[in-house]
Amino acid sequence: MTIECKNISSRQKSALGSPILNNISCQIKKGEFVALLGINGAGKSSLLKSLMGLIPLEKGEVRINDILLTPNNINKIRRQTAMIFQGGGLIRQLSALDNVLCGTLGFRSSWQTLWGFNQGDRLLALELLTELGVKEHAQQKVSKLSGGQRQRVAIARALIQSPQILLADEPTSGLDVIASHYVMESLARLNREKHITVIVVLHDLEMAATYAKRAIILEKGRVIHDGSSQNLSTQFNQTVPTILPSLNGIKPIIQQIA
Amino acid sequence: MNPSRWNLARNVAVTFIVILIYTWAWKGLKIDPSILDNSLNYIQVFLADFYPPNWSVLDIAIKALIETIQMSIIGTTLGAMFSLPIAIASTHNLSPRWLRWSANLLQNALRSIPSVVLALIFVAAVGLGAIAGTLAVSIYTIGYLAKFYQEAIESVDPSSLDALKVTGASWFQIAQYGIFPQVSFLCLGYTLYMFEYNIRISSIFGVVGAGGIGFELVTYINGFERQKAATLMIVLLVVVTIIDAVSSKLRRKLESL
Repeated sequence: MTIECKNISSRQKSALGSPILNNISCQIKKGEFVALLGINGAGKSSLLKSLMGLIPLEKGEVRINDILLTPNNINKIRRQTAMIFQGGGLIRQLSALDNVLCGTLGFRSSWQTLWGFNQGDRLLALELLTELGVKEHAQQKVSKLSGGQRQRVAIARALIQSPQILLADEPTSGLDVIASHYVMESLARLNREKHITVIVVLHDLEMAATYAKRAIILEKGRVIHDGSSQNLSTQFNQTVPTILPSLNGIKPIIQQIA
Repeated sequence: MNPSRWNLARNVAVTFIVILIYTWAWKGLKIDPSILDNSLNYIQVFLADFYPPNWSVLDIAIKALIETIQMSIIGTTLGAMFSLPIAIASTHNLSPRWLRWSANLLQNALRSIPSVVLALIFVAAVGLGAIAGTLAVSIYTIGYLAKFYQEAIESVDPSSLDALKVTGASWFQIAQYGIFPQVSFLCLGYTLYMFEYNIRISSIFGVVGAGGIGFELVTYINGFERQKAATLMIVLLVVVTIIDAVSSKLRRKLESL
């Protein structure tokens, strides 16, 4: 099993006092493409962060490639896994190339990177930027790039780690339709061609159905659906009344947004 | 009570408290308005003594001002160098709680010492002159720059640091590649602002014998050679204005980077 979560609950609580992640269990096999869905505050981003050890757990355990996630072996796990943050999580003042090279920091000592990155890493980073169609922006500061270009730089930074697992937190947020599909297609290609396990947080049900075979829907930190990504609107039809019993009138709007 | 009445009652109470505070402050100062009657005349007489400026001391003014600028350059640089580790130790995103607490305590202690007192301490320690002033400037700078640097580091986008953390980057690598590029220009801007401010502070330090233009200025004023003092003030005004303008332009440029 590539990823295994057993009854995980976060120490952090929501405004209502319940844990942000509330007794979540799920298993994800190698090579799967999973969409993580749910309304805002459902715990999607927190679940991804918990897989990378960024959120302290109250109880439960996470295993990545059969290695139990603990403070002692967290760096070992992080070297096998890469994460694309919401908005890219890039350093705006650095060039696209340097941002990609930051992905190699875990493989190099502080001493090795004190005066910059080595030539081999630079060539690899350029190759990745070329593959993702942003080579001409390699020397440009990330703050000068468009949202779609930034996301591709973020993908390149994740890929330079040669991860077995790729976690992407809303990689299409703030992007137009074309840029969104370009980003999703890049992730799908990595999954298809390099057999990288991909878990992606999405808000678009149609997009989830197009790119992912499996969908996990979260609500108030709990898994309320884990199965096929087809007919997801039916799933939301069933869950939205329980989430917002008094707002049935705006249900179609919520479904469109979700 | 309905909300509008509640709001009205609250506003009346706040107004009453504000009036009470000002009355207390005014009474406490025991200000007698009749004292102010002739004040304008006294100011006129005092200022008339400064005119016309005596340009014969221009070389002394320039020499003293150069010393003031030198004090500010060295003092600000030393202060900035010490501010950086204290700022890092004070930040919640880089340091453990115990270290944060001690570093913040140190910052607060430094800020609570008035600048002139710092100058007096160093005059007592190393004697009269620019060295005492320079040391006072550097310690004074630490109190403020460490706070500015700390604020800059704490305002860094946390997801950009998490993104480096998940690559397995070390603490030093996160500081070098994550924090430094995001705060360097902002901190440089703060340092320039502090340099500008320190020129004014260094001018005051001369009053207690800690070097710089202030020493000559006070000597001329107290010795009733106010036309010579006027020359010093004009030179100071011109130079401070030029440095202000250049520094503001530089800071604006840095902020846009």
